[in-house]
Amino acid sequence: MGYVAVTGGQEAIEQADKLSKYYRTSEITSLLDPQMIEKQMRLLIDRIMGEGGMYAPEYAAIALKQAEGDPLEATFLMRAYRSTLPRHFYSHAVDTSSMRVIRRISASFKDIPGGQMLGPTNDYTHRLLQFSLRHENEEALQRFATDYGLVDEEEQERITFPKIVDLLREQGLVANTKKDEEVVPCDITRQKLTFPASRSARLQTLARGETGAMTSLAYSSMRGFGVIHPTVGELRVGYTEVTIPYPFGENDDDGIYLGEVMMTEVESINSFDENEDEEDLQFAIGYGLTLGQNEVKGIAMSILDRSLETTGDQVSQDEEYVLTHIDSVESYGFVSHLKLPHYITFQSKLDRIRQAQQKQSGKGAEEYAETT
Amino acid sequence: MKKKRLTRILVEGRDELAESMAEEIEKNHAIYLDKQPQKSLVMLKNKDSVSNQPFYAGEVLVTECGVSIDDKKGIGVIMGERPEKAYHLAVIDAALNVRLKETESWGARLLEEEEAIHKRHQGEAVRAARTKVNFDTMEDYDD
Repeated sequence: MGYVAVTGGQEAIEQADKLSKYYRTSEITSLLDPQMIEKQMRLLIDRIMGEGGMYAPEYAAIALKQAEGDPLEATFLMRAYRSTLPRHFYSHAVDTSSMRVIRRISASFKDIPGGQMLGPTNDYTHRLLQFSLRHENEEALQRFATDYGLVDEEEQERITFPKIVDLLREQGLVANTKKDEEVVPCDITRQKLTFPASRSARLQTLARGETGAMTSLAYSSMRGFGVIHPTVGELRVGYTEVTIPYPFGENDDDGIYLGEVMMTEVESINSFDENEDEEDLQFAIGYGLTLGQNEVKGIAMSILDRSLETTGDQVSQDEEYVLTHIDSVESYGFVSHLKLPHYITFQSKLDRIRQAQQKQSGKGAEEYAETT
Repeated sequence: MKKKRLTRILVEGRDELAESMAEEIEKNHAIYLDKQPQKSLVMLKNKDSVSNQPFYAGEVLVTECGVSIDDKKGIGVIMGERPEKAYHLAVIDAALNVRLKETESWGARLLEEEEAIHKRHQGEAVRAARTKVNFDTMEDYDD
């Protein structure tokens, strides 16, 4: 049974749109400025940008306001908008080893060169509802920001830090994968995702996957429905510089700087693998990278990346299952479409059940007649 | 100064700096707008630590603008919706490509701005360093 389109309902749809606006605005005491969302819902903005696959904090805030806070709808709006824009440039490969780090932790090694920095996190604080947030004082907050922000100009701290995985690689504990030839990555926004997927297609799909879906699948692997339960080798959050080749120049090393993108990068360490070439035992690494600060998604991505390198019957090891079910626009759109009219589809089901009932009652009448 | 360093200073620096430099050029030279400031996307290429091969992590919203001065082109591209700054960047780029006289005095101002950016980044690094941690293990630990 194919789909049958419906028509009409224009006036009701327009009224429903107005009613939505009424519900969004009728009981407000002050207007929600998108800038408030952008600056005070930082982690939600990061999530929307990551899942929307577009780094644009200001637009993510507008999308959230329009979606009345629904992250799936906001992501949908971001993806829809990005599809209207041209793409004229590809960046140089972003170098996360020169990231301007604001947070860097390792759950594997206590002492890492450069040290661990907790950065902006609530990982180690009690999850107690802070009722004092009801009565925050703007002046007091500004004073706090000014006082806390003050630093001694003489004080110098490191801005970039070496990556743990590079140190492990130097010690021969991780396979050395430096290759001379760079493979052109697949772009799932322009090429259909096919299976088995290339590594670049897999990572791109995971990078814009839905946080909740990825966390669930990674969790299933750690609970025993899979074989991956890693230790975080390094989780870093910071700003990475984005540059593009200069279009009117011939110097490939040079380029133009566009700005910084905040990213979360996770390298998780798993059990040993035997190196095929050297027959050495080496750690297997899982890789995660997300736009913004989205640490759980980064860890989940690293688990799923590694899990998809293993073979087995579990869901988290099934590439097609994982990659086709973590995209929020696909899943949200498909489940959501069930709300739209399916009258003809349902009519055919109704016809079938009635026919079956008639057949049954007819057969029942025949059987009854035979007994009398 | 290489384009990468120059544009880093102009993008990260105060908007007034790029604006004043572009105004200096506008006063004395005809500027042709080849491409109105428009929004577009830049695909972000990243390398994963496992294969050391590139993949695309997402796109970045940018504003880009193109101008010409004396038949030499200039381009301005900046993250976010920032049409004015994209235009100023394009004018500065074209002026440098033509080697206009006005650009000769920019060096000191650019270096000063670069220093201010460095200080700002240092401030952020110092604040992050306040959260440095050394967890003690309650049993013996071999590094």
